[in-house]
Amino acid sequence: MTLETSPEVESRVVDKQLALVSVEDVTKHFPIGAGLLGGGSAVRAVDGVSFEVRAGETLGLVGESGCGKSTLGRVIAQLHPATSGKVIFQGQDLVPMRGEKLRRMRQELQMIFQDPYASLNPRMTVGEIIGEPLKNFGLARGKERSNRVHEVMRTCGLNPNFLNRYPHEFSGGQRQRIGIARALVLNPTFIVADEPISALDVSIQAQIVNLMEDLQNRFKLTYLFIAHDLSVVRHLSDRVAVMYLGKIMEIADSHSIYENPLHPYTKALLSSIPIPDPDLEAKRQPILLQGEIPSPVNPPSGCRFHTRCPIAQFPICSEQVPPLESKVDGHLAACHFAGQL
Amino acid sequence: MATAPSDYVFQDEFTADSTYEVGEAVSLWKDAWRRLTSNYFALFGLAVIVLLLLVAIVSQFWTPYPTWKQGIGPTYGGPSAAHPFGLDQVGRDILSRLMGGAAIALAVGLGTALLSSVIGIALGLLAGFYRGWVDTMISLLINVWYGIPDLLVVMLFVVIINSRELKWIIVAISITAWLNMARLVRGQTLALREREFVEAARSIGTRDVGLLTRHILPNALGPIIVQATYLIPAAILFEAFLSFLGLGAPPPEPSWGAMCAEGYKSLQLAAHVTLVPAFALAITLIALNAFGDGLRDALDPRMRR
Repeated sequence: MTLETSPEVESRVVDKQLALVSVEDVTKHFPIGAGLLGGGSAVRAVDGVSFEVRAGETLGLVGESGCGKSTLGRVIAQLHPATSGKVIFQGQDLVPMRGEKLRRMRQELQMIFQDPYASLNPRMTVGEIIGEPLKNFGLARGKERSNRVHEVMRTCGLNPNFLNRYPHEFSGGQRQRIGIARALVLNPTFIVADEPISALDVSIQAQIVNLMEDLQNRFKLTYLFIAHDLSVVRHLSDRVAVMYLGKIMEIADSHSIYENPLHPYTKALLSSIPIPDPDLEAKRQPILLQGEIPSPVNPPSGCRFHTRCPIAQFPICSEQVPPLESKVDGHLAACHFAGQL
Repeated sequence: MATAPSDYVFQDEFTADSTYEVGEAVSLWKDAWRRLTSNYFALFGLAVIVLLLLVAIVSQFWTPYPTWKQGIGPTYGGPSAAHPFGLDQVGRDILSRLMGGAAIALAVGLGTALLSSVIGIALGLLAGFYRGWVDTMISLLINVWYGIPDLLVVMLFVVIINSRELKWIIVAISITAWLNMARLVRGQTLALREREFVEAARSIGTRDVGLLTRHILPNALGPIIVQATYLIPAAILFEAFLSFLGLGAPPPEPSWGAMCAEGYKSLQLAAHVTLVPAFALAITLIALNAFGDGLRDALDPRMRR
């Protein structure tokens, strides 16, 4: 029996209206400078985020460096405990789970990491790396385990003859395939991909994107795809969420976010993508944002974007936090003046 | 959306390169061995260690003269054909005693390195991995232990146990020698536990025991081995020091340290009594360091070609 025809995959639902993962008001604060007498402050990496990932879709999560998107991915994958909030997966809240119960849950919930050099143990062979998840859950032994590893390697475009090689003997693209194979071998439902292609050469990026799309179709996977670049996400995502300074600014299906961005931040990000047509590119007028991204230790009051927003009006933008609400059928934006830029 | 081929062909840059040969898969240890044997300094160290081991084993069955027998020849007799390294202050054959001393040195060195490494690695891993109050307690123990002179600990231990048998000497030195190993392993563990591959291992459901034994310990092995090879000569010297104070292996055990101590009073008269065991100690120390350094380089997977 191959992975593809396993009952788990057969019974997996692809329904892009149905929430597979619900993130409810999640925060993640990293305390800093907390001394013996207390009184330390905190980096508010993720500060009250709610959204859902629907069964079988790819949700793209984009934002600048330091906006908290990788932290959010790790909180959802339960690699960092959330400070507060809920992450509901298959009807269960993952946040309070600990120990063996959480470990069991990880079978369904896998992660692909950004750096294919740092995320593979240099002391283990490729076969050991890909076989380890099976070992952890006692899923297959001996010959059966090596057959599964062979199958997954082939599925991910790796030559099974290289089973006994060490990670440093492979190129970046190959290593990322090893990372993908390791995530896939447990036959998970949901994969958090934390910038899986941003450490790779441009020529290799497309191969990894195609591989991930192909795997999604074959195994009915659901992805949360984190990236700092809207143009990469456009190709892959059913829906896109834009994050700024620990909060979601806009969520919509990818067509409407690219064709009709409502939030000025999204608009600014989109206007910075070069157009591969010299005539159009010459006419492109990027919206240049003023200043630096503020510190997440002490974020701006009201709308977090108001310090850099070209259409901010005072005092409303610096006093009232705009709720993330539906503006046009299912297109959510957190802006008092959505669509006015 | 991409079409779903039934099987991926190996299509990226890795296999597109036709000059890449599959070759046989070499295991890490085989490869490390190959690199070790191409390092002449390390090979010299290994050769000396092997020689010492052979001598130590042979000495248990045969020495030219009994190691304890006095008056075999003239007191302070110089090197001769019958006694290549001469005779000591009571006319014992120094070559025979040197051979017996090799066995004591290796037993103390290896035994201490093994026992204190086990203690140090276990406590270092626990402190670095679990942090929090576990780390606080273990670090406190280490810092307090550092403040107590090693000699005092060993003397108290020997008095309490009321035995100077070699195995108790080894235990006594070990309970003072694990501190540096524990600190080293704790530091390595603190750094390694934050590495992405450890996080990745957690995400695939690896239990704490697996994280420690498969991911953290193997990646700290290089520095641990180097530290352990430093423990061996340090333990040999410490045992010599104890013998000098009359706390080591009791006479007439041919400990190199005791031999040096016995000979230093007559250094001007018969330097060979001190110099021969001192030279043996020095060579052993250099050999162990050379081998340790070679091993460190050989075990580093980034050195693989």
